[in-house]
Amino acid sequence: MAEKKRYAFVIDPARCIDCRACLVACRAEWNTPPGQTRIWVHSDGPRGTFPNLTQTYVPAQCHHCADPWCVEACPTGATFKREEDGLVLIDEEACIGCGLCVNACPYQARFRNVQTGKADKCSACFHRLAAGEQPACVATCIGGARMFGDLNDPESTVSKAIAGRAVYRPITDEVNTQPMTLYLTPPDASAVQVNPTRRDPVPAETFWHTIGLPVVKLAIAATFAGQAAAFIIQLLKGENEYEDA
Amino acid sequence: MSHEKLTLEEREALRQQTLVKHYTANILTHWFNAFSWLLLLPTGFAILLGKAYPFVPQAWNDLVRNVFGGLAPLIKWHAIWGQIWLFVLVFNVLFGFRKYFIPFAATRMWMDKDDWRWLMIRPLQMFGLMKDKPLPPQDAYNGGQKLYSYLVLIGTFFIGVTGMIMTYSELIPTSLQWLIQWSMPIHFIAVGGVFAGVIIHVYMGAIMPEERQAFFSMFSGKVNGLYAYLHHRKWYERKMAEQAAWEDHYQRQLTAAEAAGGESPAAPEPAPTGGDR
Repeated sequence: MAEKKRYAFVIDPARCIDCRACLVACRAEWNTPPGQTRIWVHSDGPRGTFPNLTQTYVPAQCHHCADPWCVEACPTGATFKREEDGLVLIDEEACIGCGLCVNACPYQARFRNVQTGKADKCSACFHRLAAGEQPACVATCIGGARMFGDLNDPESTVSKAIAGRAVYRPITDEVNTQPMTLYLTPPDASAVQVNPTRRDPVPAETFWHTIGLPVVKLAIAATFAGQAAAFIIQLLKGENEYEDA
Repeated sequence: MSHEKLTLEEREALRQQTLVKHYTANILTHWFNAFSWLLLLPTGFAILLGKAYPFVPQAWNDLVRNVFGGLAPLIKWHAIWGQIWLFVLVFNVLFGFRKYFIPFAATRMWMDKDDWRWLMIRPLQMFGLMKDKPLPPQDAYNGGQKLYSYLVLIGTFFIGVTGMIMTYSELIPTSLQWLIQWSMPIHFIAVGGVFAGVIIHVYMGAIMPEERQAFFSMFSGKVNGLYAYLHHRKWYERKMAEQAAWEDHYQRQLTAAEAAGGESPAAPEPAPTGGDR
């Protein structure tokens, strides 16, 4: 049996010039509404003192984490991790746009699409992958800052790009979702928005887990046990066909 | 059940009586509701992912989702049947409001002291306690049934509203997303609450021998006088009074018509309580 794929993005910030062709390509591919985007190019602005100024641009998108909190938060499985390649995808027909996954993602890589009312995010252009093409943002990146491929394939672009290089995974001590985006030339994580931030669950989700589930389980278990006991008593006592009306 | 001892003759006389407990419209609504619950409950539980919300085994999720061809078709089917269920219930309440709902609400729903006392004694009797304690007389529905009816009415309201919010969630702006978020646990709790009540309802209505008449009345609409007298004394006595009043009225009309040499009188209007009495 063929080994499963392990898709990953490899980003080289040193190659990004903030042309934003990737954002245009993504929007053209997915027709995302104005004001919303599936991918980003973050920047912390110029650093240093004139004339010695530098600026780093850090492309980002959904990291298709190996341990995705968004998938855990989804009550129905409308957002799921595809087994064969690890992509985190959304079944739009099943999604009701509750936004629990949006809140759960520590990278703020998800949003609720204002046109569809569904959760939305980078899907690594899975349809293009199926046709043997690269994701739109990767295919259009003229500087080669965005790369995508199978880490299990030593001949893939991504495997070659990280070979012998120090890579940076955007994780913290508190949040490690095993993101499948690897950054070459680690960015100044304190200044750019690639590091994760844990957010508290929304009140309804907390209520559901802490009160809703236990109360319903207890109520059903109690009534079932009560009626089962009554039925056992009935079996032991038998029926009185003349007494009962 | 009342512990008052009746003579054998009285029991036999009562047995010969037949009282209408449920009208056809109510019987049909009841069974449509039961059928819908049978369809919606297992599919609804299968929508909720067992891993994130451990309520049903993951195997149940997989089985039902496979039967329906995936999560999206399952949700769609659940939503469609849910709306049919809601439409039929709302339709029945709206069109039957005057003749069914109002009489039901006026004469059958409200708890009184006897109902609360019944609730304190009857559950214990089911487990062999307080066997000699007489049960207070009950109306058309006993305290437990009344309490359950509140649960069903409130539960159905919340299930319907939250179900519609989730079904048409794409119409809700993101600024009101909390509506969808709260709809999910409220839908779940309302279903769970009614289901917990259903367990008692099914046992007491269909399995317990003393309530056999009640079970069959949900098909025929009728119970015999002995059952009505022993289990629903207040209702039995009211029905007898209503029937006597109706017969008296009819007889007087008949007598008047005969005295005038005219034809037989038209049947008088039904007793004012009407509906599912």
